[in-house]
Amino acid sequence: MKTLLSILCILLVFSGCSSPYVENNTVEEIAPVTFWSLNQGEGGKFKITTLVPPVTDEKKRLFTLNVDLLKQGKKEFNLKFYRELKNGQLRMLIINEKLAKKEIISLIDTILSDPDVSPRLFLVLVRGSFEDFLEEERKVQKNLDYYLYRMFRHYERRNQGEMSIVNLHEFMEKVYSPYSDPVLPIFKADKDNFTYEGTALFNENKYVGLFNKREDQMFQLIANDHYLKNLPIPHLNVSLGQVRSKVHMQVDDQFKTLNIHVKLKGRIDEYRGHRNILDRSEMNRMTHDIESYLQRETAGLVKETQRLKIEPLEVGAHTLSPLVHPMTRREWLDHYEKMKVHVKYSVKIEPLSL
Amino acid sequence: MFRKKKRTAANQKKNEEMNRITHEAVTLDLLKQATAKMDDAKIVQRQTNNGASFSLVYIQTLIDKERLNEAIIQPLLQSGDQAFIQCISTCSVLRIHSIEEAKEHMLFGAVLIHDHENNEWWAVQLENTLSRAIENSETETIMYGPKDSFTERIEQNVFMIRRRLPVTELKAEKFQAGSNTKTQVQMLYIEGIANPDIVEIARENISKVNFDLILEASNLSAFMDDHTHSLFPQFMQTDRPDSCAYSLGLGKIVILLNDTPFALIAPITFFHLFQSPEDYVHRWVIASFLRTLRYLSFFIAITLIPLYVALTTYHYQMIPLQILYVLMESRSKLPFTPFWESLIMLIIIEIIKEASLRMPTKTSQTIGVIGGIVIGQAAVEAGFASKVLIVLVGISAIACFLVPNYLVTKATTVLQFLILILASFYGILGIAFGLILLLAHLNGLSSLKQPFFAPVSPLYWRDWKDLFVRAPLPWAKLRPEYLKTVKKWRVSKGEGSE
Repeated sequence: MKTLLSILCILLVFSGCSSPYVENNTVEEIAPVTFWSLNQGEGGKFKITTLVPPVTDEKKRLFTLNVDLLKQGKKEFNLKFYRELKNGQLRMLIINEKLAKKEIISLIDTILSDPDVSPRLFLVLVRGSFEDFLEEERKVQKNLDYYLYRMFRHYERRNQGEMSIVNLHEFMEKVYSPYSDPVLPIFKADKDNFTYEGTALFNENKYVGLFNKREDQMFQLIANDHYLKNLPIPHLNVSLGQVRSKVHMQVDDQFKTLNIHVKLKGRIDEYRGHRNILDRSEMNRMTHDIESYLQRETAGLVKETQRLKIEPLEVGAHTLSPLVHPMTRREWLDHYEKMKVHVKYSVKIEPLSL
Repeated sequence: MFRKKKRTAANQKKNEEMNRITHEAVTLDLLKQATAKMDDAKIVQRQTNNGASFSLVYIQTLIDKERLNEAIIQPLLQSGDQAFIQCISTCSVLRIHSIEEAKEHMLFGAVLIHDHENNEWWAVQLENTLSRAIENSETETIMYGPKDSFTERIEQNVFMIRRRLPVTELKAEKFQAGSNTKTQVQMLYIEGIANPDIVEIARENISKVNFDLILEASNLSAFMDDHTHSLFPQFMQTDRPDSCAYSLGLGKIVILLNDTPFALIAPITFFHLFQSPEDYVHRWVIASFLRTLRYLSFFIAITLIPLYVALTTYHYQMIPLQILYVLMESRSKLPFTPFWESLIMLIIIEIIKEASLRMPTKTSQTIGVIGGIVIGQAAVEAGFASKVLIVLVGISAIACFLVPNYLVTKATTVLQFLILILASFYGILGIAFGLILLLAHLNGLSSLKQPFFAPVSPLYWRDWKDLFVRAPLPWAKLRPEYLKTVKKWRVSKGEGSE
């Protein structure tokens, strides 16, 4: 008996359970919310919105509260609903652009420190009113919250190269690392649509700007997925498919120049121009045009990050070397801002794909 | 102290009395007294053609009546001047002196012959050899490999083993167990391979059995087990002579009992309970896969339902959203908590399993259909159980049967209930606690004083070749290390490597 009790005690202590009593979470008695939408509220507060009951086929209602604290919102939701709202299945945190411009780190920190919430929670920025979209869409789509989650999960897996999908763990990792700044996907929401707008850029933890859809493609290629299922270049009447890139960045010793060499492989999926691309010399000219276009776009993208003094491309990591004391973030960004950028693309178009 | 002295004196007196009875000379009166109220006991008096009289005493239900006339009565009647003993040439004849000897022979199917003139008693073995034919094994069926199985006759069973191992080193020591049943027990081992210490332990354990009824193998193993209260059998029971021969070849001991078609094999480990004779028939990759599947099934059988209870009661966070969606839908209108729902369904499944096992084959099929389909579907439609649980209970019940040893299958059921109760109190922590207790228990068990959890604990790397993976037979050149056999090598080139 003594042995049994000591084994039990050791188990409880080592598993981090200070109390042997477990919380009753019988699935039919709780309502595990899948998302919280946060927006600016009245009087310096913020608005927290969710759909209840989640994860069931029952008719859904939109709950919105004006609160000071996230946990306060959680508690007040419970008082309004006949099942206890639990956030152990919280999969998406949708933050309004205006709120993100102020400061979101304390909100995200609260969620990160909640042991119930998984760090694989998707963070999303929304421009416009997500609440309006929910209000309209829930009439048509019964399990809207679930389908939204499935969409994020789909694009997260195997880096589909369509959009930037970031979870809580990745976001916070970049916030606390000196040579990188986090990014988030940004969507535009109105009554009828919920559209991907590009990648939101953060300076440490503050939202400072975004890459639009065109720039976002370059961002996916050089810093995020290194893959694009489809890269349309309307300017050249061509669309490349299955584009994969290998990026080589080099910062010189004086931190004056940044060389980016991108090796890109793809095939022509669609061409509506007047060149005879079956001819080798015509094809070479076409490849050269594509390279020039990509170089221009990429250089523009890097310049934008220099202007905003942010590090979503994680160039600073290339300055690190053994036996050299790393620079502070401030020092590095001062160098980075003034750096000359040379971008070179080597595009290889796979033959006979048309 | 006085009481002890008194008791010793009483015991001494009793022993003297016993000795007196045992050594009392056999007489017809004493035999009549012994067979009183035994209607099947016969005492017949006859005269030979020479005028000499003799008596035959026998129990007619135990002897071969057809052979009685031709092998004993006719030769004796026409014996003439010949001595009785010389007339009987077709059966084994033994001279007996005491009444105890006479009774024992008579009860084992001998005909007692009394020569009135010389007052001599003889026992002629004329046992009724009625027995069923050698049939396919029903408890350990296999697709390929030998199909014969043991019968209730120990001689036949020893024959089946000896035919497979025609070596003089195969020793068969005889014992008797059960004061009333006087069951014949034979301990088989291969001298020069089996560890003499283990043989001695087994010999001692069998000799120590002191009980009135030893009717079958489990009765004997119950007295030989090192750990009486364990859920796990410490002797492997099999009715397959090929399994016995294989085990003997490895250096294990086989114990056969008369009137039971099951042999006991020891020492065994926990992992032997998951091995099937068919493992050595299949290609090694397939055999390894199937063996791993059995371990996995055991794990599923004991943890699947407890896991369902733990997740649906405490750890909803761990359930993937897609599955949570299905679970919530399925459980939304149920009147019971996950624990009670699972407990009721598991008990119902056990009732169905027991019923289909005890009923005749045709009825048991009907019970299977009624139990599986009607009760399962009706329970869901009536709102007593969730669809998900019915699926899980089905998987767990089938997983149970993947373990080839029937005794372990039953142990799995009890383990499942125990872990279920722990899960209902502490969730995943309870399951972890249950599994740790199980491991600790298995680690503490032994079979004929040999570690039951070997070769994992204590660690014998060499024996891992035949553990989760069944390595190709040419690789298994050495006998299991945990058995500490006299001869280590199974191949002749290593004969000297002992």
